[in-house]
Amino acid sequence: MNSELLKYKDISIRYGEKKVLSHFDLDIKKGDRILLKGRSGAGKSTLLKMPMGFAHQTSGNLYFNNSLLDSNTVWDARKRIAYVSQDLDIYEGSVNEFIEEVFSYSFNEGKLDRTKLRRLLVYLGFEKDVLDMHFEELSGGEKQRIGIIMSVLIGKDIYLLDEVTSSLDSALKEKVANYFLERKDWTLVIISHDDVWEKENVRVVPVGV
Amino acid sequence: MEAYDIGYLSLIACFLLLAIPLFVSHYLKLGLINETVVSVSRMILQLAFVGFFLTVLFDLNNSAVNLLWLLVMILMASHSTINEVGLDLKKLLLPTVVSFIVGNFLILLYFNMFVVDLENLFDARYLIPIFGMFLGNSLRGNIISVSNFYDTIRRNENRYLYSLSLGAKRHEAILPYARKSIKLALKPSIASMSTTGIVALPGMMTGQIIAGSSPILAVKYQMAIMVGIYVSTVMTVAIGIFMTIRSSFDDYGILKKDVFKSTNT
Ligand SMILES: Nc1ncnc2c1ncn2[C@@H]1O[C@H](COP(=O)(O)OP(=O)(O)OP(=O)(O)O)[C@@H](O)[C@H]1O
Ligand SMILES: [Mg+2]
Repeated sequence: MNSELLKYKDISIRYGEKKVLSHFDLDIKKGDRILLKGRSGAGKSTLLKMPMGFAHQTSGNLYFNNSLLDSNTVWDARKRIAYVSQDLDIYEGSVNEFIEEVFSYSFNEGKLDRTKLRRLLVYLGFEKDVLDMHFEELSGGEKQRIGIIMSVLIGKDIYLLDEVTSSLDSALKEKVANYFLERKDWTLVIISHDDVWEKENVRVVPVGV
Repeated sequence: MEAYDIGYLSLIACFLLLAIPLFVSHYLKLGLINETVVSVSRMILQLAFVGFFLTVLFDLNNSAVNLLWLLVMILMASHSTINEVGLDLKKLLLPTVVSFIVGNFLILLYFNMFVVDLENLFDARYLIPIFGMFLGNSLRGNIISVSNFYDTIRRNENRYLYSLSLGAKRHEAILPYARKSIKLALKPSIASMSTTGIVALPGMMTGQIIAGSSPILAVKYQMAIMVGIYVSTVMTVAIGIFMTIRSSFDDYGILKKDVFKSTNT
């Protein structure tokens, strides 16, 4: 019996004439921490979008929890996996409204842990009044930290993190990396050029070489 | 009491007034001379056609023909909603037609039955003008809401996808966008109700007064019409978005690229 949480099997992706990935294989088991590395445009973000159903392979198969990812199972994957995109266009409105909205989805209803929220805000160097700020007033690094906080707040144990530390200062990079890497039971797939993620037990996987 | 007739010569006298905007455009170099001439000509032709057409329709006053004409109006409204917004006609025509029928036709029947209390529900003299007013307003509303809805989801795709990844069901991810678009589309109707009579006298009421109705009767009609317009616009706009969603999002909950006309993407 195989216990892969995520399995990329012989994945190739082409956009028109352009080949992005060819015959990519990767098995991810519970508790794995994987760091995807590769040049810009190699297809790293595309790999993280696939389990969410935001990008599709041209050939090959993707499995989540041993079942083929398709338009039915993707909804399950979205409930189990926390995904933080590289894109920082997160929401229109205040941070508070964002949190309210996310926790109004039937799947998240009643799960908001305000103590945890406060703890996370403090840990990542926020003053409390950031909750009243609007996203267009936040800096890139602030949006990034809100994205990270939200991913943790909804309480999942599989994380797909696409360049989540790119706009942070080195102290914050270290804090974020430590926060995730300390949770031994979490499964992490990380895209980052920051060496704070290159720690023991982190498997570096090259993309597109 | 009948309104004074406007003779054809007097009509020409009226068109002479257009020399003023043409002069203004020329003098201030607004560059609107061509556009003015074209749109005035279109207005003349279209209205002349409608006048002729309605005369025939009213003389005939055959329920089946009247209903058929309503259907034609609905098809034209649906076509122009989808076209105006840059969406693919084939995919969205049916849901849009349905939204106009439910939003306008059902309300019209109620209106003619319980408000105007007509003997013949399909009397051309009431059916067509009232329907025209409902349809014209819900058309405007539908164009605003549908275009705003698809535009914002397309422009903020990341934001939309993010909400899916945060556990939103498809309708939960869509709802905030639908809500905003519907509100935006209803603002003009709401504003026009709250300013009517003060800022502007509505065209229909003025028309009725000129045609010899008492102001009180004209006002009662106006109130009824404005309520009817608001209700039919709300229904069309809400149904319009929720009906089109079914054919414009895929099973992954993602907006299909091909709902937009290919020239637009
Ligand atoms: N929907 C799409 N249509 C066409 N091309 C696409 C699409 N999505 C991605 N691509 C292309 O696929 C390639 C890989 O994109 P991807 O975002 O996965 O790269 P990446 O490895 O994450 O790069 P970076 O390090 O710059 O973020 C890029 O060249 C991109 O232009
Ligand atoms: Mg990327």
